[in-house]
Amino acid sequence: MKKQVLLSALALGAVALTSCENQEFQNEKEDAMRIDVQQISPEMAKVRDYVPLYAVIAHRGSTFWAPEETESAWRWARNIGADYLESDLQASKDCIVLANHDDNLARTTNIEKVFSEYVPSTRKDFYRSFRNPDGTQHFSEEDIEQQYQADVNSFRPYYAMSYYFHELLMLDAGSWFNETNPEQARPAFAEQHQYVSALRDQIAYAEGKKLNRDANGERVITYKIKDQYKDMTLAEIRAAMPQAKYMAFVEYDFSNAYVPDPADNGNRPGIYPEFKESWVNPANMVQLVYDELNACGWNIITKKEPENAPFYINGKVNIGNTNGKVILQTFTFDALRQYKEVFKGQVPMCYLLWEGTYATDLTYTTPTGYADIIKFALDNGCHIIGPAISGAPNNYPEMNKPWQAYMIRKSGMLNHPYSFDSYAQMGKYMGIYNYGIETKYDSLMRIKVDPSPYSIFTTQQSMPVYMDGFFTNRSEMSLRFMIDQGFRCNSKIGNPFKEGAWYDNSQAPHNVQDAEEVLRELGY
Amino acid sequence: MKKYLLLPAMAVCCLTAAAQDFDNTPTIELKKNDFRFTVGARMMADVAYYHSDFTPLKSGGSLSDARIRTSFAYKDWYFYADFGFGGGKFSQKNIFAQWSRTNLKGATNYVKAGYYNDPGSMARNTSLASYHFISRPGCTMALGIGRELGISYKIQNKSFFLNQGISTDHAYNEQTAGFDGIAVSGRWLYRPVNDARNTFHIGVNARFAHNGNGKVVNNVLQRTLTLGQAMETYVDGTQDLVSAELPWANNVINVGAEVLYKNPKFFARGEFLWKHVTKSRDSYSLFEDAQDNIDCWGTYEAWLAANPLRNNNFYGGYVELGYKIFGDPYTYNDSEAVLGGFSGKSLEIVARYNYTGLNDIVDGEYYSAGRDQYYPAGYMQDYPFASSSVGGGNVNSVTVGLNFSFNKYIQVMADYTYSHLDRDKLPYDRNFHSVQGRVQFTF
Repeated sequence: MKKQVLLSALALGAVALTSCENQEFQNEKEDAMRIDVQQISPEMAKVRDYVPLYAVIAHRGSTFWAPEETESAWRWARNIGADYLESDLQASKDCIVLANHDDNLARTTNIEKVFSEYVPSTRKDFYRSFRNPDGTQHFSEEDIEQQYQADVNSFRPYYAMSYYFHELLMLDAGSWFNETNPEQARPAFAEQHQYVSALRDQIAYAEGKKLNRDANGERVITYKIKDQYKDMTLAEIRAAMPQAKYMAFVEYDFSNAYVPDPADNGNRPGIYPEFKESWVNPANMVQLVYDELNACGWNIITKKEPENAPFYINGKVNIGNTNGKVILQTFTFDALRQYKEVFKGQVPMCYLLWEGTYATDLTYTTPTGYADIIKFALDNGCHIIGPAISGAPNNYPEMNKPWQAYMIRKSGMLNHPYSFDSYAQMGKYMGIYNYGIETKYDSLMRIKVDPSPYSIFTTQQSMPVYMDGFFTNRSEMSLRFMIDQGFRCNSKIGNPFKEGAWYDNSQAPHNVQDAEEVLRELGY
Repeated sequence: MKKYLLLPAMAVCCLTAAAQDFDNTPTIELKKNDFRFTVGARMMADVAYYHSDFTPLKSGGSLSDARIRTSFAYKDWYFYADFGFGGGKFSQKNIFAQWSRTNLKGATNYVKAGYYNDPGSMARNTSLASYHFISRPGCTMALGIGRELGISYKIQNKSFFLNQGISTDHAYNEQTAGFDGIAVSGRWLYRPVNDARNTFHIGVNARFAHNGNGKVVNNVLQRTLTLGQAMETYVDGTQDLVSAELPWANNVINVGAEVLYKNPKFFARGEFLWKHVTKSRDSYSLFEDAQDNIDCWGTYEAWLAANPLRNNNFYGGYVELGYKIFGDPYTYNDSEAVLGGFSGKSLEIVARYNYTGLNDIVDGEYYSAGRDQYYPAGYMQDYPFASSSVGGGNVNSVTVGLNFSFNKYIQVMADYTYSHLDRDKLPYDRNFHSVQGRVQFTF
């Protein structure tokens, strides 16, 4: 009996010991390698390759040197040599696609002083300004009164969606910068009227243009009723709108809105606009952007560029003349779904990641959650993932740890983290330090870089690289960093997406001007 | 002398008050005049080795159960209490008083009050020490009912077993808000065959409960029901793999059916469980609370449409088989209508299939693991996105086991269980294997 008990106990003990020997534990670094990530398709990889590697993306033009998303910021970004002019898409009440970060304009304009919290007092006069060929008022007073009441009912103070583009042009989008950034303040930002931008404006700056201004320094732009609404009352127009709060009946004449920029230095960057929250924009926002790109000749679906057009020519950025001229981006699910329907995955798209519990946030930043969100992005036609990164001054949640960058790379998508303000951040994600140590992801992440005429090293380097391009508020610093580290102006950079192949961006501009000198040259 | 040792023990047990999970006769017994006092104890020590596809379970050992029990009988009255120390924590087990009397026709009437197992579910009313597997079936843990504070009336004879009662939700009325809830339940069996060799019983059980307790947030009582099970093991008892949270649970209806057959060498038993959970909430107050910013819901109707509330249904069931290779014949406990436990030197082989369904997902909805969120439209939306789907997980488990009793006091058990999980939240967790062993003694 005793013997039986003893044997049984020994047997159970042996099982227990065996079990401890190979015990695994939860480890996101391991799990990231164990999970299969959905792969980009060959068709989508072709669109991905429209985008240059190691692109420097000028976040809102610049948030550091000039008023964000204005003529001054984007002209500066173009001339400094950034690859893309980044922006955010809003819409005015008349559905003009704006390039402005905030849906509420109180932070970056003087709207509180100009309009207060009510429907602009000039609103009725705006309706009265539409004239018949014989010079008489087009809309009746009764019609205008009814429309005004409708405007009041749907009014959101300071939200772009509640103001006609004509009204937004009354705002000053430059002075606030001088007040909040005294060290970078320049009188010209206030003296040269900085306007709330339209997407068309941004494209014009990328094309080497600037605003056409009259003798008083105000931009030249006229408006009229769109042909399809010219025989309708405001009430009839309102009834014809898919969403009554929007009144997309005004046509602005942009044909004379821009002139060649005498300070243009020949760079032709692309643009990188972001679709914002769906509930503060028209339901057909993505289609509006599609049409706007069409109107500007920047829609590569309807107007393809030559497949072999180079990203850089003779020391100038040429991305604006390639099929990579437009990259779209968004956090929102609705915009992504509409993008898939409208753009059909044929224009590069970046899906942005933010960790949190908000309606469009990534809640579970586990490898399982990450793999799921990569699949979601690919299923909706995305080519790029844009994770938030940590670090001062923004201190965003870290969503581009080595294991996360590894999963993105494994999918074949590009990785464009946001947003960079410091050398420390660039060094971290470009494998110079912090993340530059040997990791278990080296087989995919480590690339070779030959020395270039401009690099700070003279022998071939091998380093793990955790991004393929990045949003920066300091384009001048980022460009210098990339040139110094051999990732720009180099004919031999390892291509992480094509094993054994070299990536060549040796024609990129290697001379990065002083940021303030550029501003002075531009007249600020 | 024994008397003087046992009486202080009894006093200690009464003072330290924490299922009637012992259904064998205690060994230590003290009788005098009209009263009978017993004391006993049991211990279960488990070891387990797990292998899973993705999320690891913690292999190792565990003192799954340690208990002291005591009872006191006087004429028609019976008092019982047992206290658990398993896992190093004291826990309240059964404590009740019972009156019983057998009438001239051979039927016994019982009136029982205290804290003990809800009458529903055969498996939950079978002592774990008398169970022929290391764990009870997963579905009975996820969908069955445990102990409650209540009163019940039972009548049973050779052919019938009728047990019904009324109870509160739990023992201590210590909920944050609301009231303790109330439940009425019963288990009703017919035993067409019930003799010394063979028993066959078939029956149903039902329970209606009103979930009264919860917590108050912004003046709204939030009542949540949590369902879950471990992977039929106690060494790693996590319920994270199979679990569902049901906010706004109002009424809970359990309906079950069971069948049992045993002869001296063989037993077969099984149950089917269905749980229906109705929902209720103060929607208008929640809508009012949501009106806190410029992007809030415009109308109450819009809020209701975006925040649907749906009743849920969950199913489960199991079948267990056992064959006695040698040893004392299988027994049947008439008064509890359950299969008896181990007695004497014996060896048996057992097998079980279990299904637990905690998925109640609306057809066509899209699930995002990155947000642990179902989307009613079939794709991810910014707003509205509230879903009434529940993705607690469906699990199919198969267990085979070998049990050996050295004598009526000590047994060793060994089980192998394979479980297949289907849960959207855990897409890489599909297959779980466990090899478990147990040493238990009961006296």
